[in-house]
Amino acid sequence: MTSTKDRGRSPANASVHTKRANADSRAHAGSEKVHLHVQQLSLRQQMERNHFLLERLNASSARLIQSLDNEDVFEAVAEIIGNLIGSEEVAIFDYSPADETFSPAWSWGVDPADMELFKSGAGMFGRALNQGTSQFRERQIEKDLLPFEKRLTACVLLKSNHEVVGIIAIFGLLPQKNRLEWADYELLKFLETYATVAVQFQRLQKKQVAP
Amino acid sequence: MSTKKILLVDDSCTARLVNRMIFSQKTNYVLISAVDGKEAVERAQREKPDLILMDIIMPRMTGLEACRALKKDKETEKIPIILLTTRGEERYVQEGYASGCSDYLTKPVNDVELLDLLKAYLGE
Repeated sequence: MTSTKDRGRSPANASVHTKRANADSRAHAGSEKVHLHVQQLSLRQQMERNHFLLERLNASSARLIQSLDNEDVFEAVAEIIGNLIGSEEVAIFDYSPADETFSPAWSWGVDPADMELFKSGAGMFGRALNQGTSQFRERQIEKDLLPFEKRLTACVLLKSNHEVVGIIAIFGLLPQKNRLEWADYELLKFLETYATVAVQFQRLQKKQVAP
Repeated sequence: MSTKKILLVDDSCTARLVNRMIFSQKTNYVLISAVDGKEAVERAQREKPDLILMDIIMPRMTGLEACRALKKDKETEKIPIILLTTRGEERYVQEGYASGCSDYLTKPVNDVELLDLLKAYLGE
């Protein structure tokens, strides 16, 4: 069948034109198929990324619950960060609202002398406190960083009902880990809430034991 | 349906929990576990797993020591051992291979990478 455009053309020309149109249509269908396939792959990756995160959140939650009985909340937090985020330099600070200072409560792989530098709450600690949100090294303006904060990767604010309980400080990441990724930020958000609950639980436990 | 048995050795409860989750949801492997190198050697001798996934830094006996012990034993010498470690630097990798491990994965472990490696060793 010839189109309106083909009228007046020789049959040979019309045939060439039809073949070309068919080839174009096949190419278009092919590229459409590739496009759909790419879209599907991207959606699948999105689902798998989310699943990857959920597995980690689930394991972290189970570990924190277990820590309530084992009385090893700080160790559990460090284990989660070490195994699932990739840092073996973690410190946990308590916050005292009365004198607005931080005191080192526990650490793993961090020099205690370095921890002393953070007690005043200057720099990223202060910003976390004032803004009420966790602070991350790669989101800071370079000039605002204090000399002793250069190795600090994240200050995760432990907060419950607007009351700041403390901070989890994550220092250097493992050599094979260049930066925090999407799933890491999500896991840290989880720790903001649930590590706080676990830390509060542990404090109450200690108060009960103390004479 | 696979019934391959994997021995997971890690003193970190979080690592054991997350791996158990990955295995139960995405594979049919039977997972058994140990919390240090000493227990790993005993369990491997007793249960003859098809593959061992083992952390390096552990109390009582490290992963490297356990790897050497398993490779010396005729009963367990052929079991592939994949070491899991936080240390990805070249010298640590070489030390791992020198102890007799078949492969090496750095933490934090990516589950796709882990499952691909297991498939390569277990042939599925």
